[in-house]
Amino acid sequence: MDLSALKEAVISGDLKGCTVLTEVAIKAGYPPAKILNEALVPGMEVVGEKFRCNEVYVPEVLVAARAMKKSLAMLKPLLTETGAKPVGVAVAGTVKGDLHDIGKNLVCMMWEGAGFEVVDLGTDVSPEKFVQGVKDSGAQIVGISTLLTTTMLNMRDVIQALERAQLRDKVKVMVGGAPVTQTFASEIGADDYGESAATAVEKAKALLGLA
Amino acid sequence: MTHRERVLTALKHQPPDRVPADLGGTLASTINIHAYRRVMARLGFGEAPPVAYLSRRSNSVLPDERLLSYLDVDCRAVILDNPDANPERELPDGSLFDEWGITWKHLGEGQHFINSDGPYYGVEPDPALVEKFAWPDPLDPGRFRTLRSQAQTQRARTDAAIILVLGVGLVHQIQFMRGYAASLEDLIVAPDFVQAFMEHYADFWVRLTERALQEVGDLVDLAMFGDDLGTQQGPVMSPALYRRLIKPYHARMVQAIKRFEKPVLLHSCGSVAAFIPDLIEVGFDALHPIQVSAKDMESGTLKRQFGRDITFWGGVDTQRVLPLGTPQDVREEVRRRINDLGPGGGYVLGAVHNIQAEVPAENILAMFEAAREFGKY
Repeated sequence: MDLSALKEAVISGDLKGCTVLTEVAIKAGYPPAKILNEALVPGMEVVGEKFRCNEVYVPEVLVAARAMKKSLAMLKPLLTETGAKPVGVAVAGTVKGDLHDIGKNLVCMMWEGAGFEVVDLGTDVSPEKFVQGVKDSGAQIVGISTLLTTTMLNMRDVIQALERAQLRDKVKVMVGGAPVTQTFASEIGADDYGESAATAVEKAKALLGLA
Repeated sequence: MTHRERVLTALKHQPPDRVPADLGGTLASTINIHAYRRVMARLGFGEAPPVAYLSRRSNSVLPDERLLSYLDVDCRAVILDNPDANPERELPDGSLFDEWGITWKHLGEGQHFINSDGPYYGVEPDPALVEKFAWPDPLDPGRFRTLRSQAQTQRARTDAAIILVLGVGLVHQIQFMRGYAASLEDLIVAPDFVQAFMEHYADFWVRLTERALQEVGDLVDLAMFGDDLGTQQGPVMSPALYRRLIKPYHARMVQAIKRFEKPVLLHSCGSVAAFIPDLIEVGFDALHPIQVSAKDMESGTLKRQFGRDITFWGGVDTQRVLPLGTPQDVREEVRRRINDLGPGGGYVLGAVHNIQAEVPAENILAMFEAAREFGKY
């Protein structure tokens, strides 16, 4: 079998196709890392690119990510067995005081689809929880999201908490969300700003020197 | 020219004496309680004026008549009341719980409530669920109890255009009942569920709307409802999906209002430029809030492309200028939007969405002062 069918199933968000084809690929003896890197990751890359160009929209991305996650869940135990390392580890959350999570979820999906291990801390996440998340996971990337102008400044608290915990130089901080701008990101001392989930992978890789 | 004439002239795409201005005319063009208290105090109208909520969920108030007269605002809202059966109530943790079974979690004092649970959260999207759902009664008398007296009061004390604020639109409603992400996935993986819901909800909405317009059709000047179709970066769904699954129902809703010969204002946040040709075709007369900070929402371009066929409502940036700018920045912003959107009528000025909690009183005053100054035709 050829892994391109699985890649296509990811792109079209075909959940059943992904389930069946992943099983077939595993049974055919493909190493799990190969399935991940040659089907799931390039599939999500295509989806991200189409999203960036407004060829597909949030519903298509969500459906593709759901299919990809199904495959990934089947591969995960095998990846652990073979000791395959993720591209990087990222911690993400919506800042304290805010419950909006679609943007943050899209970023998490994109990162996972690019082979990152992602720890999603959820919404209304305190600075202390971000710090704990980094400590527990050994993350190199911290993603902070907000939709509200009123909670934007809480992003700075997260960065300061990382400084106090002496973790700031061990992680790269990325911020995003509707009201956030590059200027604001620089002001609060973030390492990068993403205007759209579509650029999250590229930016995270660049920050880690992987691009 | 009366305030009402100013708005109705603008809606006819003719230049009134000056660009009309809105504050408190709709549930998405009013003001957060904190910002409201500051501006009221600043004008000497009292530190803690009594508060009537226009939208409890966004902690936005129905502004006091003294403020609206002082700012010389051209619109007033009349709103539906709580139903008698299952009125919205507060839960012990401060959340709200409504007649649809939606839980609205509070983000904090003076902040919004956002939907955190609902009857279709986490279930398999099956059309049978829609059939089985205990649909609220659109004609519940509680909803209409004060509608006529509100409209009569506004008619008696102002000559402003009166806007009937209707129930939430169907894209919103399914998002609230099902959760945002799941409702968007359903558009692709469960269109039969979406369609069953839209059918039922449009029926509910149309019956409610007809009843409301029977009550106050002779007193109100236009009707509005909201359905967000945009994100910061683009359409929330493809225009093709909109046409297939949403547009037929929007058409039904607009027709229900048009039977009473009222113009219809749609509130739709974010980057919605891609939908405007469809919205015009459906029959919407005006579009709010023209979120100029979103992608592809440049006001001059929109006016050139669509200004002949739809009235723009809003346009003064809420994401950056109003909360973060100086009064001078606000004046420049108002001048720019009037230059872009005002020519020939077809523009009602207002903030892009409710004036948020942190907006300084000076900026609010600067906005309406500039609207009067630069808005003359």
